[in-house]
Amino acid sequence: MKDLKGIPAPDDPEAALAAVVAMRRRATQLELAAVIEAVRQGWTWAQIGEALGISAQAAHKKFTPQLR
Amino acid sequence: MGLLNAVRDLRTIQQLLTKAEAEALRAGEELPGPEHLLLSALELPDGSAVRAFERVGADSSALRKAIEAAHHNALAAAGLAEDDDGVEAPVERRPAPGAFRSTPQAQQVFQQAVALSKSTRPSRLRSAHVVAAACALERGTAVRALTALGVDRARLKAAACAEVGLPG
Repeated sequence: MKDLKGIPAPDDPEAALAAVVAMRRRATQLELAAVIEAVRQGWTWAQIGEALGISAQAAHKKFTPQLR
Repeated sequence: MGLLNAVRDLRTIQQLLTKAEAEALRAGEELPGPEHLLLSALELPDGSAVRAFERVGADSSALRKAIEAAHHNALAAAGLAEDDDGVEAPVERRPAPGAFRSTPQAQQVFQQAVALSKSTRPSRLRSAHVVAAACALERGTAVRALTALGVDRARLKAAACAEVGLPG
């Protein structure tokens, strides 16, 4: 786990929001890579949804178009 | 607008949006933003976007790297920068089914570019219109990428306008 103490203070919104965008982008990339791997390992949509805090149906709908 | 220009516009718009979506998907992002429209505009065959960058002495071919640098710098400022060696290339996403979608800022840039094209003669969308419209943004990834590239947005906008015969 990286040290989060360096996160820009909200009183520097320019830097803080840019960091949010970059983190969100990275999270989106990681999420898809991890779901693809989970499916490859035989996880069910219920298990993936549970891990992500969404329903099995939502996970299926969101990621099925991304599976090759 | 003549029929020929209308057909050309449709073709240009299709190229612009399709390529912008491909740029976003390649970067592992769900929706194209203004930075992806800019990358797409630089590949449109009319070449006016590339020439606008050249007019201000900027290397348009470095924009993709500048976008990555903008994100990297934002993470670094947060103390979350990863080593370049430790970052795997993102999985390329597949297009979501349904109609074309983009961020609201990309929609704004696209609509502004089309509006600018209506005020030029010939009234036809060219890639420099997209550059000029993107330069009106004040915040976001595209702005930070242009800054990372060393581009002054006001000068680039003036150069883009000059390319299409608009007052800067």
